[in-house]
Order: sequence, then C-alpha cells, then structure tokens
Amino acid sequence: MAATMRNVDEIRDRVILGEFDVKNVHTTDYPGNYPGYDDTWSLQKFQKNFRIDVVQMDDTSLEFDMVGIDAAIANAFRRILLAEVPTMAVEKVLIYNNTSIIQDEILAHRLGLIPIKADPRLFEYRNAGDEEGTEIDTIQLQLKIKCTRNLRATKDSADPRELYLNHMVYSKDMKWVPIGNQADVFADIDIGPVHGDILLAQLRPGQELDIVMHCVKGIGQDHAKFSPVATASYRLLPEITLMETVEGEKAERLKRCFSPGVIEVENHGGKVVAKVVNSRLDTCSREVLRHDDLKNAVKLARVRDHFICMYPVNLEITVCCLANL
Amino acid sequence: EDHTLGNSLRYMVMKSLDVDFCGYSITHPSESKINFRIQTRGGVPAVEPLRRGLNELTDVCQHVLNTFQSRVSEFRSQQEDVMD
Repeated sequence: MAATMRNVDEIRDRVILGEFDVKNVHTTDYPGNYPGYDDTWSLQKFQKNFRIDVVQMDDTSLEFDMVGIDAAIANAFRRILLAEVPTMAVEKVLIYNNTSIIQDEILAHRLGLIPIKADPRLFEYRNAGDEEGTEIDTIQLQLKIKCTRNLRATKDSADPRELYLNHMVYSKDMKWVPIGNQADVFADIDIGPVHGDILLAQLRPGQELDIVMHCVKGIGQDHAKFSPVATASYRLLPEITLMETVEGEKAERLKRCFSPGVIEVENHGGKVVAKVVNSRLDTCSREVLRHDDLKNAVKLARVRDHFICMYPVNLEITVCCLANL
Repeated sequence: EDHTLGNSLRYMVMKSLDVDFCGYSITHPSESKINFRIQTRGGVPAVEPLRRGLNELTDVCQHVLNTFQSRVSEFRSQQEDVMD
C-alpha cells in the first residue's frame, strides 16, 4: 500500500493535481514559515541534496534530471539557454545577383535562420557601427550557384531532377571563405552549416544566385536565429500513489487512463491488481479524475524539486550555458 | 535585467534569515529594468542580504556547473564503454 505523507511535508514537497485546480504550486520553504524546520540557505545542505542524472545525450538533444533545486533557478537556466547563450548566425547578406523567384529579403531571412557550425567562444562580438567586420568577429560564407538545362536528359522526361542541373539550392552549397588568418586557425575544423539538406531556393535554367554572407556572434535576445536550442523545456517528475487496491475490471480501466507503461496490471493469486510501474512516463493528463469511481483511488502529484529537462540543441553548448550565468 | 535574474535572486534572498519581505516586479516589459525590494528585520542594512544573495547565487551556479560537467563526462565515458 502506498504510504501517506504527513500533511506538512506534502505541502512542502509536492504539487498536488486536483480535479479542478493545482494545489501547493509556490515554494513555501522559506525560513520562518514552518516551525521546526530550518529552511535557511545552506550551501552544504544544497550540495548534499543536489544531483544531476543525464538520461540521454547525443548530437541533437540532451535530456537530464536535476534533483534538489528550486524552480526559480531551474527556470533561470532555461531562460538563459534560450536567450543568452551566444551562437554564430548569418547577419549580413550581400546579394550580388539574384535572378531566382525568391525575393531578396525572403532569401536573406531564410539564410539567417540556418544554424552555423562554429564555436562562438572562439569569436568576439562585432562592435556596433563596424561595417566591414574583421577576422576575429566574422565568418564569411559564399553561395554561388547557377541552374542550367541538362543536355543529356531524355526528350520526354518531365522530372525536374533529370531535366535541370542545380535546380534545388541546399545549405550544403554554402561554402566557407576564410578571411585573414582564419585558414590557419580553423584549419581542421569544418566551418559551415550544421545541416546540409536545408532547402533554400528552387531555380530554373538561367536563374542564378551570387551571394556573400557575413556571420556574426549574437544572442537569442537580439534575434531568435541566435538561440542555440530548438526549444528548452522542463517538467516536474510526476508521482502517482494508489490510495486503495484497485482490482479486476477497474484495474484495466485505470491502466488505460494513464500513458502507456505507467500502470501495469499484475496477477496476484488469481486477482488482477493494478500497480504503478514507471510514473516518469506519465504526461499527467488527469484523465483518471474524470471517472467517478476511480478518482478517489489515486492521488496525482508532482515532486517539487525534481526537474526533467529536455533540450534539443544544435551544437555542443552544454558547458557554455552554465558558464554564462 | 529581467525575470532570469529577478526570480532566482528573489529566491536566494528569501532564503536568508533576516529578510522580512522580498519581491521584484518588472517596471515595463519593453524596458529591461526590475524593481527589487528587500525589507529586513532587526536593523540589518538591506544591502547585506542583497550582496549575500548574489554571492550565494554564484556559488549555486558554480556547483551546478561542476556537477553537470562531471556527470556529462561520466555519461560520455559510459557510452564509449558500451560502444566498445
């Protein structure tokens, strides 16, 4: 049977999901609020309770758990990841020739949003008013492409892939042009767009693009193209406690009320009983509270200081973010 | 400044014993300025919990950074072991 927590501990540690409202949302564990509890800030206590568990990490996303920290600070990290971690992105687009059907400004906007693979820590911010840009703050990229008719295509084909050469302009056509001493400094790093398969424009024979781009260092607060994360989110760990044994057909219904994998139905001596297996997978839709006979059997809560953070990122900026605070 | 610093600093200042009241508000969303108010008890000058709060906040972030870096490198080496 699930053990019930003392009321006070519950208010301090859990956010309760009720049928019509959510209770105990704000942190209340400040000194003086609860007699008998010493809530004064202590770095040692924090260091003892705090831990981080990395769940999944690869080139494109990062998921980890932070336990023992307050929402104010976890949210500050999320905001900083979105708005104040610098990256490099195309800022100035010098269009020498654009005879394609895409308008200049639309094309420039699309180029700005392409993620660039370059470590922003190796660059400086450009000074305001500096038009040209030096090798220490600018990356220069060039896109020069012309669409021609494919003379070797068969007479009756209607497939544009066969009829035309270079009719789709992808981000892999953006070439890096080293300026100053960049060729030596970045000899072994491949500077360019992160993904090569982003479609920029479509051309037909006779149309061409001749564009030079300057990338500068910036932060997400200035323009969202500088934000290194696709989206940064966190959620609290859900906790489902069964207040009474649920068996038989009710157990099956209870299982269906939650996300798959949260509740398993087991066989105990002939009777089918429900058991909470993995509450982490739950999305807390509170579906169970819609059924009158099941809603008293379950208590839905979230653990207040356990944050499951998910950050799909484009580059390895994991260290930069915390260093920036 | 905005909520990023305001909320986390408010939390750290509230956690100290001599603070009676602490809060912040954004004057206008277009300007990045916050009004931060601290009221202490016992005659303590209000600048002190502010300074302490800022220092404690930097300590917290440093600790989180260290923990994070060590866990990430642990995870990476674990992954490499699995791949080998």
